[in-house]
Amino acid sequence: MTEQFEPRIVGFLCNWCSYAGADLAGTSKLKIPSSLTPIRVMCSSRIDPVLILTALLQGADGVLIAGCHPGDCHYNEGNYYARRRFAVLKKVVDSLGLESDRLCLSWVSASEGQRFAEVVNEFNEKIKKMGQNPMKKKML
Amino acid sequence: MNKSAETSEKKGAVLPIKTSIQDSIKDLLKNGIDHCVFDAVMIPLRVPAGDSFSYVLIKNKSLLNDAFPLPPTMSVQGAKAVSSVTRLGNRNMKIAAVMRPCEIRATIELTKLDQTDLENIILISMDCPGTMPILDMVNEPEKTMTLFNDATKSWDDTQMRPVCQICDKSSMVAGDLHIGTLGTDKKSFFIIPNSTKGKDILEKLKLPLTDSIDSWNKKVKENSEKKLKKRQEVHSDLKNKIGDLTNLLDIFSQCINCHNCMRVCPICSCRLCYFDSNKVKHSSEEYLQRAKDKGSIRILPDTTLFHMGRMMHMSLSCVSCGSCEDACPMSIPVAQIFSMVADETQRLFDYVAGRCLEEPLPLRTYKEDELHEVEDVHG
Repeated sequence: MTEQFEPRIVGFLCNWCSYAGADLAGTSKLKIPSSLTPIRVMCSSRIDPVLILTALLQGADGVLIAGCHPGDCHYNEGNYYARRRFAVLKKVVDSLGLESDRLCLSWVSASEGQRFAEVVNEFNEKIKKMGQNPMKKKML
Repeated sequence: MNKSAETSEKKGAVLPIKTSIQDSIKDLLKNGIDHCVFDAVMIPLRVPAGDSFSYVLIKNKSLLNDAFPLPPTMSVQGAKAVSSVTRLGNRNMKIAAVMRPCEIRATIELTKLDQTDLENIILISMDCPGTMPILDMVNEPEKTMTLFNDATKSWDDTQMRPVCQICDKSSMVAGDLHIGTLGTDKKSFFIIPNSTKGKDILEKLKLPLTDSIDSWNKKVKENSEKKLKKRQEVHSDLKNKIGDLTNLLDIFSQCINCHNCMRVCPICSCRLCYFDSNKVKHSSEEYLQRAKDKGSIRILPDTTLFHMGRMMHMSLSCVSCGSCEDACPMSIPVAQIFSMVADETQRLFDYVAGRCLEEPLPLRTYKEDELHEVEDVHG
């Protein structure tokens, strides 16, 4: 029963920066935990927080949202809106007493393969410490 | 709040109460129609069966006699009424809409969401003692009327809905004119303008102006401070009561998925709600997969997702009007939970829903340098 806990992390990656960054991490042969399931979206602001909640409530151990650095958005301002939405999401989750630490918003540019690997590894370690999402076994 | 009132020399008008405050308000409205300040009045009317109220658009001023400017219950949120009349534009008719402050605030939020046209609308609010549960009126109409009449005099809110008992914005001036009954000698009432439109009306109707509404301000401040304290207490109790996942799921597991709360919510104005769309209709394979993952799956699923999703989508504009709780057949304290969450999300942006038409919706604007605390600390 001491089987090591392997988290399941859903990653929403913006097409222009973070997904390209993930690609670069891959072609640079950097080690990225297999716990990440990447989902490519056109912009971090395309992600309705409800999608993040859906992942969380259905039992994802962590949800990563990664977009262009502020100021570098392909659509100029998408990531600023995404950051506001993420702040609201975190507040809602917090105020209901749920674990908002399972949510992570990070900025990774297309040239930051190294950074992408580090962000994912760090988040993965953090989730490992937190353990399984208690919602995994709850009937909803 | 009182930005425009502060700049003017005369703070408002003062009128005597002849028989009752409700009658005096009706006289004022009739006066408005006579002077062509507005062409019609949108105001609650008791339905013929006597057990509910409904907004009506009145052009014939004699019909105003049966109107209730301040009914005991809120059957349709006023913002929804204004929206349905003006959503497609309103060029020809000046309408005075008489509503509670929370209804006006919701109207302002709906205007920011492009669901109303306020150009020819005059929003008139009044000090609100609270609203009684909608079913009280259905079950015992006469008793409810008496209790409410007493409450308007004593300002005792124990019979009101729980969310009204913790409302610290029951005298918030957000529309064009506000009728102030607090802090008066009970023989007169204040009419406080909050816009150029409002001021013009006072001038056109030649109402006796006053340069001091201090007694009203003082009483309102007192009242809202008291309520705010209670609000914070109730919210922190509620937060402790929810506290963790199990309790949260317990509360929302009573939900029967009727979506009434969303249907009556003035802010939920989307033509098609995500939670009514095909996005939440799953194939049997998906259900089976989820059942396999989780051990079992509730059908219909995702009641908690629905409520949390709604909090994401509308809590920044939530005015705590309590319509959702009135409409919930399972008596889930939706309005109290939503008001708690809304207070927290609105505080993030120092935003108060419906405070001011010029304040942009928080999710429609941004600052370049903000909210770094929610970003990943890496690097």
